[in-house]
Amino acid sequence: MTSFQLLLDGFAAALTPVNLLYALIGVTLGTLVGVLPGIGPAMTVALLLPITFTVPPASAFIMFAGIYYGGMYGGSTTSILLNTPGESASMITALEGNKMARRGRAPQALATAAIGSFVAGTIATALLVVAAPAVVAFAISFGPEDYFALAVLAFTAVSSVLSRSVVRGLASLGLGLVIGLVGIDQQTGQARLTLGIPQLLDGIDVVIVAVGLFALGEALYVASRLRHTPPEVVPVGWTWMGGSDWRRSWRPWLRGTALGFPFGALPGGGAEIPTFLSYAAEKRLARGVAREEYGKGAIEGVAGPEAANNASAAGTLVPLLTLGLPTSATAAILLAAFQQYGLQPGPQLFDHNPALVWGMIASLFIGNAMLLVLNLPLAPVWARVLRIPRPYLYAGIVLFAALGVYAVNGTVVDLFILYVLGLLGFAMRRFGLPVAPAVIGMILGPMAEIQLRRALAIGAGDVSVLVRSPVAAVLLALAALALLTPLARKLLARRGPAPSQREE
Amino acid sequence: MIRTWWRPELGLAVVVLVLGVLVVVGTLDVSAAASQLGIGPRFFPSLVGGAMVLIGLLYVIDVLRGGHGDPEESEDVDAGAPTDWRSLLLVSGIFLAFAALLNVLGWVIGSSLLFFGLSVALGAEHKLRAAGIAVVLGVATYLLFVEGLGVTLPAGPLGGVV
Repeated sequence: MTSFQLLLDGFAAALTPVNLLYALIGVTLGTLVGVLPGIGPAMTVALLLPITFTVPPASAFIMFAGIYYGGMYGGSTTSILLNTPGESASMITALEGNKMARRGRAPQALATAAIGSFVAGTIATALLVVAAPAVVAFAISFGPEDYFALAVLAFTAVSSVLSRSVVRGLASLGLGLVIGLVGIDQQTGQARLTLGIPQLLDGIDVVIVAVGLFALGEALYVASRLRHTPPEVVPVGWTWMGGSDWRRSWRPWLRGTALGFPFGALPGGGAEIPTFLSYAAEKRLARGVAREEYGKGAIEGVAGPEAANNASAAGTLVPLLTLGLPTSATAAILLAAFQQYGLQPGPQLFDHNPALVWGMIASLFIGNAMLLVLNLPLAPVWARVLRIPRPYLYAGIVLFAALGVYAVNGTVVDLFILYVLGLLGFAMRRFGLPVAPAVIGMILGPMAEIQLRRALAIGAGDVSVLVRSPVAAVLLALAALALLTPLARKLLARRGPAPSQREE
Repeated sequence: MIRTWWRPELGLAVVVLVLGVLVVVGTLDVSAAASQLGIGPRFFPSLVGGAMVLIGLLYVIDVLRGGHGDPEESEDVDAGAPTDWRSLLLVSGIFLAFAALLNVLGWVIGSSLLFFGLSVALGAEHKLRAAGIAVVLGVATYLLFVEGLGVTLPAGPLGGVV
C-alpha cells in the first residue's frame, strides 16, 4: 500500500466521533498549557500518562499529538501579549510580536501567528507523510550498533546545542542517565542503585521525573524569585488581518516552514535555532515598510519564526516515529508513552501498527485545523487566562503535580521522590542547566544500554563492532563533532577578537 | 577567607561529581553473570558513572575558574533578583507536610490545605478567596478523578461524605 492510501485509512480512524473528541480535548488542553507560564506540553503529557491507561493507544496518541501542536500555538499567544521574555523557542516571536501588540497591532500579530502555524503545520505534516516511509525504508536494516550510535548522537547533540556551556548540558544528561539506571536490570534481573528501597526496584517512573523536573522545579524556582509586579497583558479583541498583512506574511510562512522542518528532524536541532534563523533571514530580506518597521514590530518577524516553530514540531516526529529517537523533551515523553503501551517506535511500528501511526499523523492535520478555529476567535479568552494571579497558578500547578504523581502508584513515597527531583529541577534552573537532556537521557538511556549490550554480544566482546557498520561510524563521528564544535569555537574566540555580544 | 572561592553553583557541580562516584561504587556489588555472552549489568553503569566523574570534575573546574550558568528566564521570574529563601523554604515545608499528612487527612482536606498554603505563601492577597478556590479545587479534583476516571486517592475522614 502506498503511504497515501495508508494516510486515508488513518483519516478514517481519526475521524470517528470519539477520536475527534480526544483530538479536541488535546488541542484545547495543549493551547491552555502553552498559554500558561510554568507548564508546557511535555509535563502535560507526562501527567496524563497514568490516566490514559484505560484509553486505547490510538485515541491516547491522537490526544497527545493535539497537546503537542496546541502547546506550540499557545506559546505564541503568550509571547505576543505578555511583555516579559518567555522560554527560548518563543522568545524570538516576542521580539517583534510584543512590539506589534503594544502598537495596537495585537490582532494582526496573533492572526499571522495562528494562520502561519496552520500553514506551516499542514505543510510540515505533509512532509512528514513523505519523509517517514523513506526513513523507515532506510532504517529497516539498522542493527543494534546503529541504534546505539543514534542514541549517542542524540545525547551529545542535545547536550551541546541546548546549553551555552557544554559541560552543563552534559551534566544534565548524566543526571538523567543515572536516574534511568535505577531499578532492576532488564536483562539479568539484578537490582541496581536502589539503595535498598523496595519502591525503587521498578525504577523511578518517568511521570515522577518529568513532573518533578518541570512542574515542581519550576514552581520552586518561581517561588524563589517571583516577579511581584502583575503581568502586563496587552488587551485584544477580534483577531484578524488585512490584505497587506497577508501579502507580507505568506512568504515568511513558507521560508519559516522550510527552515523549521529539517531542524526539528535533526537531533539537537530543536525549535530555537530555526526560529532564530528565520528571524534573521526575514530581517535581511525586509524591504520598504518592513525594513522601517523591523525592531518596532514588523509582521514578518512574527510570521517567519512562528511558522518555523510549528514546522519543527512536525519535524521532531520524523525521528521519533521512524527511529524511536526523541530530539526534544516532549518527544521523549511521547516515547515513554509508546513504551507504556508496550510499543517501540521504529520501522516495526509502521509495519505492525499502521492504523495507530497513520491515525496519529492524520489527526495532526485535523488538530491543526481545530487549532486555527480555536485560536482565531478565542484569542480574548486566552488573553484572560494569562491574567490568572500567579500565586493561584503555581499553587494549582503543584496540586496537579501531586495528583498526577500520586495516581501512578498510589503511594506517598513517590511524593517525597517528587520533592527531591523538584529540588534538582530548581537547582538546574537556578544555575542554567537545560532540563531537556536529563529527560532524554533518562528515557533513551535504558534503550541505549540494551542496544549496546546486544551489539557487543553479537561482536563477542569485540568493541570494534560498534563502528563496523558505516552508518554507525558516521553517526558516532557526528556525535563527537557535536561535542567538539563548541569547544573549538571557544578556543578560536579566545584567540581571535572578542566575539560580538549576543543578544539578550 | 574560605568564602572567597565558594559559590552556590559549586554545590551542584559537586553533586554531579559525587553522584558519579556513587554510581561506580554502588554498582560494584552487582555481580556480572559469568555465563553471560558479551557484557553484564555492570558495564553500562560504570560507563555512565565514569563519565559523570569526568563531567563533574570539569564542571567543578569550570565553576572554580569563574564560569557560571545563567539563571533560566521565564515569564514570571525576575532573573536578576536574589534568591528568596523564605518563600522557597515555605513552599518546601508546605509540600513536605502535605506529603506526610496526605494519608491521614485524605485528598480533599490535604489538597485544599496545600493549595491554600501555597497561594498564601506565594503572596495571594485575598485569603478568603484563596480558601474558597482551595476547597472547590480539592472537592472537584476528587470527584473528577476518583468518581470520573477511577484514580485511587486517599479518602481520609471525609470518606463517607464526599
